[in-house]
Amino acid sequence: MQLDAASLARLGTMAVRARVLVQGALSGLHRASHRGSSVEFAEHKQYSPGDEIRHIDWKSYAKQGKYFVKQFDQESQLTVYLVLDASGSMNFAGGGASKLEYAATALASLAYLVSQQQDRIGLLIFGGSETVIPASGRVQLRDVMDALETANSSGGRGQNSASAALQRIAELNRRRRALVILASDLFDASGDAVPALQKLRAAGHDVSVLQTMAPDELTFPYDGMTLFESLETDHRLLANPAAIRAEYLRKMQAFLDNTKEQLQRAGLDYHLVETNKPVETTLRDLLIARNALMRGRSVGVRG
Amino acid sequence: MAFIAPLLLLGTLAVAVPIVIHLFGRRRAKTVKFAAIDFLFQSDRKTARSMQIKEKALLIVRALACLAIPLALAKPYTSCERSGPHVARGAQAAVFVIDDSFAAGVISDGKTWLVRATAQARAILTQLGPEAEVAIIRASQNSDTPTELTRDHLRLGDQLLAMEPSARPADTRRALEAAGLLLTASGHSQKTVFLFSLMAKSGFSAGPAAWGPQGPALTVIDVPVANRNNLAITKLVVEPDPASGARGIAITAEVLNASATPVKDTELALRLGSDVVARGRLDLAPFERKAKRFLAVLPKGSHGADIQVALPNDVLPIDDVRSARAVLRDDVRVLIVNGDARTTRRDDEIFYLETALRPGDRIDSGTTLRTITPDEISADALSEADVVVLANVPALPTARVTALTAWVQAGGGLFVTVGEHTDAAAYNRQMRELLPQSLGEIVDTMWGATPDERAARALHMEKFAVDHPAFAALSKNATELRDAQFSQIFLLAPDANDSARTVLARFTNGAAALVEAQVGVGRIALFTSTIDRDWNDLAIHPGYLPMMQQLIRHLARRQAPVDESEHLVGSTVTLPVAGMSKLEVRGPGNLATMFDGDRIAGRTSLRFGKTDQPGQYRVRTFDAANTSNTREDLGFAVNLNPLGSDLTPAPPTVLPASGTGGGTDKASTKQRIELWHAVAAVILLLLLAEGVLLQRA
Repeated sequence: MQLDAASLARLGTMAVRARVLVQGALSGLHRASHRGSSVEFAEHKQYSPGDEIRHIDWKSYAKQGKYFVKQFDQESQLTVYLVLDASGSMNFAGGGASKLEYAATALASLAYLVSQQQDRIGLLIFGGSETVIPASGRVQLRDVMDALETANSSGGRGQNSASAALQRIAELNRRRRALVILASDLFDASGDAVPALQKLRAAGHDVSVLQTMAPDELTFPYDGMTLFESLETDHRLLANPAAIRAEYLRKMQAFLDNTKEQLQRAGLDYHLVETNKPVETTLRDLLIARNALMRGRSVGVRG
Repeated sequence: MAFIAPLLLLGTLAVAVPIVIHLFGRRRAKTVKFAAIDFLFQSDRKTARSMQIKEKALLIVRALACLAIPLALAKPYTSCERSGPHVARGAQAAVFVIDDSFAAGVISDGKTWLVRATAQARAILTQLGPEAEVAIIRASQNSDTPTELTRDHLRLGDQLLAMEPSARPADTRRALEAAGLLLTASGHSQKTVFLFSLMAKSGFSAGPAAWGPQGPALTVIDVPVANRNNLAITKLVVEPDPASGARGIAITAEVLNASATPVKDTELALRLGSDVVARGRLDLAPFERKAKRFLAVLPKGSHGADIQVALPNDVLPIDDVRSARAVLRDDVRVLIVNGDARTTRRDDEIFYLETALRPGDRIDSGTTLRTITPDEISADALSEADVVVLANVPALPTARVTALTAWVQAGGGLFVTVGEHTDAAAYNRQMRELLPQSLGEIVDTMWGATPDERAARALHMEKFAVDHPAFAALSKNATELRDAQFSQIFLLAPDANDSARTVLARFTNGAAALVEAQVGVGRIALFTSTIDRDWNDLAIHPGYLPMMQQLIRHLARRQAPVDESEHLVGSTVTLPVAGMSKLEVRGPGNLATMFDGDRIAGRTSLRFGKTDQPGQYRVRTFDAANTSNTREDLGFAVNLNPLGSDLTPAPPTVLPASGTGGGTDKASTKQRIELWHAVAAVILLLLLAEGVLLQRA
């Protein structure tokens, strides 16, 4: 089952949408990506100073005379930070749902999914400056859903940078690595969102970026004299779209390519999301990509 | 600034139209709230800015156009103090009399006077307005006069633009009279003559034109001339100069200083063909005419030469040059019929005549002599002669008389001299057609005289027709001939038709000495004494040689290379066309006129009148086989009428008194300047600008 933006909007609250999406299309796809101390053994790792002594496999030591530390798949102790860009530019809805609504729905679905697996969920909304400290449980899920609902209904405002929010996540999780999922168009006037993401990754956090774009931003289908008004500032531009289409598309493509290249080079999981695509497709792609990424990292460790 | 139709200014409210359209159009532009607007600005920062500028520029241009259109329709004007003549606008009749004489080519401030005058005329034509009926009359001599007034101001403007100085002098009086006549026929109440004239004295030579107090108003337009100091060559005479040889010529150029300023050391250059062969210098007092004489030798091998004398260019260059044509004479073929041949040459009847016609038997004497006896006269012999001299010939038989008569009538020249073989009765009976007058008795003044009485009783020649070419080479009273003594002469019998002959000289007793008559197109001359020393001693007097040479050339119609009379611009020149099938005259500027067919057939001469330009005119003839022949002897030079070179201003009294012209419009010191043309031009520019902006938007 696939639901377009209009169908989703008819589903009511964000919680309902998330549940419908997850139960209908995404069940079984999510796996924790961080190694942790759990019952399900994953692999051995040679001991190095700093590893917890309680995880040393004494049986292996008895057989081989070397210290090995057991590693397990962590299934429930994962901390997932959902970061939503609620700046003014996310209000744009050319060719589909508004970017904000789409992103909020996607993050709500992820929150639901994460909550189903007893993981800790945190939410950070920049633009709206709403923060939900990570925790698990039903109450936490409801708080996250309410915050997303509020952000969606009140619409995007201002032109706050993602860098401040990302920096805050890094501060809150200095000792514990987290999965950070950012939904934003990355139209960052200051240009420091990407460096902030790179820093977060460098700090060991797992970062996924959903660069959310409206189809009209990618195709620029306008015709005739048009007065373009900025969603974040009072900038206005009266222009003939036909005259500037090619140059606009070239600049936009360069921006997207540049962002993708920088993020992928830093080891981030990057997804370009168009708001006319079904949300579940976007989420499925994200989860598949994450699973693949997780397996790749596991193979890398074993090798 | 004021307006002729101020109500139309209400139309300026239309300026709101483009503004409303602009605002409406701006509102109609789709508004899109767009997230990636920074990319648009990056993509089209320049385009967007220039579009905004263009949009505003379009609005301004359209608003200005909407303002300008009613402004132009309201016909704005302004006023200023009048500096030129008073010109009333509206329905009226006006004639522009414009001096287009060659003097109008006088240069002032780098332009000819005529250019400045016609520019003023065009300005006045505009001021008169489209309802005025106007004509333009040229003031040069013999110029065409329009027959009616016209409202076709475009054509009149073109006429003024195309007007150039003619080569004729001014005849302003005639032009003013013509203007008065033209306006008389007009039904308009207001009639004005605008006179654009150099006001040179010569243009009013025949006195002022009068048209009475009810005549047109006369407005003299002042087109000033900074400098009227003009030097001109007013006459050029070419004469033979025997002292310089057979090809020697003397050229006399008359120079006029038509100014109150003395001229020092001005240079004259003589040009033969294209080469300057001599230079001379002259000092001239104010208004002085002075002649400068040059001697030159025509180049060998050519039959003629173009002669030109030139001064350095001054304010009026056209009259600083004068041309003439020198033509080398051909030898005159003289057939002498000797009626009293002797074995002793000195006693021969024609000894002195031959000596006079070929002095020293020189080849360049200009004559070819052939001597025959009366029995040898034949058509063949006559066909090779220009002049036949019957020297003391017995009366000829009828057949020879008939041949001679026919030959003379066709253009031959016959000189009859008498002597002891002349039988008056036989001459009168058989040769009457060849005599200007019948012969009478012989007068012998020496009969019965003693040697001492001879001198006293001798006859002398007197009463010469001094202007006749036969005596042109002699002094004024022909003193070179007066001392000759005549002992015997023939008297001439009275004739019924005395008017057919001309007595060129008489003896002291009143008897005719030399008589001339015209027969057909030929000439005959009769000398009533001998041409040797039998009856007189004329042959040993200094006047004998030039008289005989000139008389023979006159009879042969071949004069010395004297440009007898200057041909002036506009005059007619008579050209012989006997025996020709075509004749072409090519004037200055290589403009050719061809005479053929009926214009030339059966005629002996034609009159050529297209002498509108000064300079050399060349003549080519074509025979029946269409073979062309450049006739250097028929070429001629045409020059300016020297009257026009005097630029001295005439007093205002030469002008006719200005009539009322029927006008009631008082002279105003204010002049209205229409501005709507300028506004219309601005509208055009605005529309053009809008088109350009639209194309680039």
